[in-house]
Amino acid sequence: MSEIETFRDKARAFLEKMAPKYGRDARVGNTVEQDLALGREYMAARYDAGFGGINWSPEVGGQGLSNMHKIAFDAEEMQFGMPVQFFGISLGMPVPILINYCQDKAFVKERVRKALRGEEIWCQMFSEPSGGSDLAALRTRVEPDGNGWKMNGQKIWTSWAQYCDYGVIVTRSDPTVEKHKGLTYFWIDMKSPGVEVRPIKLAGGDSHVNEVFFDDVRLEDEQRLGAVGGGFGVALHTLMIERYIATDSAGFGPHLDEFVKLALEVEINGKPAIEDGRIRSAIARNHAMRAGLDSITKRAFLMMQAGMQPGPEGSLQKLVAVRSRQKLSELAMDLKGNAGFAFDPHAFVKTDWGTSWLNAPTGRIAGGSDEVLLNTIAEKVLGLPQDHRPDKGVPFNQIPA
Amino acid sequence: MSILYDEGQQAIATESRRVLDARMAKDRLLALLEQVGLADQPFWDTAVEQGWTALAIPEAFGGLGLGLVELGLVAQAAGAATSGAPFLTSGYGLSSALIGSGNSALQQAWLPRLASGEVTAAIAFAEGNAILPAQPAVALTGGKLNGTKPAVVGASSADVALVWASAGGQPVLTLAELAAVERRAVSSYDNTRLHADLTFKDTPAQVLAEGAAARALALDVLARMAVVTAHEQVGGAEALLHIARDYAITRKAFGQPIGAFQSIKHRIAEMYGLVEIARANCIHAAASEDQPGFLIAAADARISATEAYDTNARDCMQIHGGIGVTWELGLHLHMRRARSLAAEQGNLLFWEDLLVNQLTGEAA
Repeated sequence: MSEIETFRDKARAFLEKMAPKYGRDARVGNTVEQDLALGREYMAARYDAGFGGINWSPEVGGQGLSNMHKIAFDAEEMQFGMPVQFFGISLGMPVPILINYCQDKAFVKERVRKALRGEEIWCQMFSEPSGGSDLAALRTRVEPDGNGWKMNGQKIWTSWAQYCDYGVIVTRSDPTVEKHKGLTYFWIDMKSPGVEVRPIKLAGGDSHVNEVFFDDVRLEDEQRLGAVGGGFGVALHTLMIERYIATDSAGFGPHLDEFVKLALEVEINGKPAIEDGRIRSAIARNHAMRAGLDSITKRAFLMMQAGMQPGPEGSLQKLVAVRSRQKLSELAMDLKGNAGFAFDPHAFVKTDWGTSWLNAPTGRIAGGSDEVLLNTIAEKVLGLPQDHRPDKGVPFNQIPA
Repeated sequence: MSILYDEGQQAIATESRRVLDARMAKDRLLALLEQVGLADQPFWDTAVEQGWTALAIPEAFGGLGLGLVELGLVAQAAGAATSGAPFLTSGYGLSSALIGSGNSALQQAWLPRLASGEVTAAIAFAEGNAILPAQPAVALTGGKLNGTKPAVVGASSADVALVWASAGGQPVLTLAELAAVERRAVSSYDNTRLHADLTFKDTPAQVLAEGAAARALALDVLARMAVVTAHEQVGGAEALLHIARDYAITRKAFGQPIGAFQSIKHRIAEMYGLVEIARANCIHAAASEDQPGFLIAAADARISATEAYDTNARDCMQIHGGIGVTWELGLHLHMRRARSLAAEQGNLLFWEDLLVNQLTGEAA
């Protein structure tokens, strides 16, 4: 057995032990606050068991293992439905950036430990009302203020900001140069004066994203991560950190087995739905698509084990999986008929077709919309030309609004 | 299971592609479209010379003792070149049936000659739109076959056929030499597939398997061939992806390359997605040969590869506009091949049903 497989077994044993207290079934009916409290407890237990910061260096408090160990753990953990959703972004991007760019090592060490134990949560503030996909179009402004900076503006779609202690943020420090050249990156204390967080209620009824407003917020220069004007590079680095993460060919929705089970239970025109050609075709097409994505994932894993860079086909995962989950959820609801009207906004996306359906649009937009992902594949993988970009080479303050 | 290709396998992929690039000629293939019953002889000569016919046959019978992974890679190269002889897949089908039957006399008689390329095979399973009919009309009585198999791939020149027949209400898998069998070549939209009706009249045949065993063996042979064909489809679909991309980069309209328009670039990105999903399924299926779950893996490969090749043929022509539909450009070689491969070794309808049966635990 390979070392990774041994590690995977160890992880599974830990997760099985934790599941009765923290797993999917234990969380049914929790309010968000209860779930967060349970999540913090689980994170501490996970840290104490040696599964915190798996692929981070021991110097900052990690376990010093490889990315593959991390992916193996995440893939196992995903099966159990642990309350980890609050910590994914925090540990996925802001904290690693802090580790990479913050000069105050004692401060970093303390933050890492608390973030890994779920005591503190970090958010990432990139998107703004004026630009989501077009990150460099952001307008939140910083101006020199004594030996530090003063920040004004607004961010949006910030996950879990209402529960966050800290955040990382990209701001515009110079509007007179090309848009991606005038950006500067900082970390901020979310409890600073002038920071206001307003939750946004989403279509599915929950409020995990927020608007964040900044009114003359004071930033010390020590909070700057990277050079003045180097913010876009740090932001790109952020997006590259976890390029190879645990994926889910079900698009983070229900497993295809759930659909097959449903088709075996219900009837269409007096005959089992599983005998209906339309249903059979949907099952077969989805199975073939998901099997392909799973095989891509397994091969990416083998490539990493062999010390190779996985192929660009990994970029298909979210695009293909989430949009097909959306359609399959619709079909599952059709199969349920009137029985599908009942809706529980707190049901789990991975086990409930209604919740999976209503939250699927979020999945198709967050972290790169379908359209942006298609552009990326076309341009970066296939070498097709960039779109027409009228803002190219133009100073930010001269771009036509 | 999924694998990374080893060095030997990568060499087979590179070398087969190199040889076919050098020897395949679009004009020759275009001319053959209008000839009934003519194979693309240079391709078949190349296959024999390169030892592709021997790849998946055990060394004891003059083969190279490799498997579905290696044969799949050659098929992928052949698919990219719309190479014109169906015998690589059908020869593999017959050799798999012979090995699966355990009949050593027949193995001795045929495997060395299949390996050397001295004989070519046809797989005569289908009748009408059923790839493995429950009650085949072709019947075996007293060791002799009677009846007609319509439009069998490769049949206008194959030496021997693997025939799915019935004997006293039971299915049988038989082997028949075709020298004395009446063949009527069918003029088809993809003539180098050598479609011909085979009419058996008291044709002597040998039984490889009977009853449930015959069905299981036939299904295994079909699944193996489907995996080879799926590789061929991936090769074709990938070639179309590259053709579409290259055209979108060079062709200009409204003052810019058409590949800068999202309607075009997104279409091409989707073509890429179909190719990669099908490729991943093919690798998984080929590496799962002789393992539990092979039928499911074969179905996944077949379904995704059929979707990829059909879609890419459709979309590549669309991206080209008017020039795409000309005889001379030859994109229709792929369009035709995409459809003939989609129907060979069982169509989407068959594989979708088989997959769902497998997933729900019903017998195939």
